[in-house]
Amino acid sequence: MFRHEAYILLLEGKEVLQFIDGLSTNLVNGRCTTIFTQANAKIIDVCEILPLGENVAIIGYRPYKDALIHHLKPRILERQITIRDITTLNHVFVGPIPDELPEGSTRLENFMGGMAVIPQRYQIEQTWDETRWNEYRINNLIPYHGAEITPKVHPFACGLDALVHINKGCYVGQEILTRMRSRGKTGKTLVRKGNPVSNPTTMGVNESLCIERTQ
Amino acid sequence: MDCGTCETTPTIELNVPDEVDVNLTMTDKATAMLSEAFGDDRSHALLVGVLSGGCSGYMYDLQIVESTETPCQELNVKGYRVLVPRASSHLLDGIEIDYVDRLMGGGFKISNPNASASCGCGESFA
Repeated sequence: MFRHEAYILLLEGKEVLQFIDGLSTNLVNGRCTTIFTQANAKIIDVCEILPLGENVAIIGYRPYKDALIHHLKPRILERQITIRDITTLNHVFVGPIPDELPEGSTRLENFMGGMAVIPQRYQIEQTWDETRWNEYRINNLIPYHGAEITPKVHPFACGLDALVHINKGCYVGQEILTRMRSRGKTGKTLVRKGNPVSNPTTMGVNESLCIERTQ
Repeated sequence: MDCGTCETTPTIELNVPDEVDVNLTMTDKATAMLSEAFGDDRSHALLVGVLSGGCSGYMYDLQIVESTETPCQELNVKGYRVLVPRASSHLLDGIEIDYVDRLMGGGFKISNPNASASCGCGESFA
């Protein structure tokens, strides 16, 4: 497992799932992964949504935290929702997760092969370095934050089609994504190619990931 | 996952925009439709709110209500009670409510000078 540079926000209040659902690409009615997008369908962040009793945790990529908060805050309006940053309370790891985790840990399934959220009180180190994590991602065509998942691309371009719900109603960016899908014109897509490649998003030993324009 | 001590973590401060005194107008067509809806009963009010979501980030929310727990500004527009949530006042100041009589896409329509963009159906704005 590889240490994920994550943030964790805890949203407290009424109808938090409904609030998130109205602003992201996947159907949010419980535990899921979803994507917050701008009106032009470019990614703000790809986040894990984890209901915790009355509250909901959003786990995202730390460099994108401010952008997500900036996106959420003005839309709270009269909803009684508060946001707490509980990032420092937990470690977050991604990739294949060992069977046994310390007590109080949370195991999540997601497109990265898995995620573990482990209380900070445990001294836990990653078992994979970045090279091994990247090789795993290349072999399994898994996009990652900062490499393929960036604010410059839309979800289809980095292989996250499955996180854009096919029947969902309006959310920010939905008009563009629905049009792209219905017309079969997604513009770019994530591919794995043998080295050498020009402009890889993730460079591997023998193969690399690239975002390429579709024919 | 540890969130048991989350009460000790500070909340992220929400920059709530200042409340503004809402100026709201209604076309004759919209007034006529309200008249049909309300009849002679003036105990109810038209709640003009904003929800997060929609293609452009915000959605209009029109309801006929007797009362609401949401803190609101109460306006009198052509003899009708109109309620505007205080938290959304900055997004709704200056709007005009119209009624479009069409088989498809008809209904109440809002023209909003604060909107920089809106979606095709007219229910959402940014």
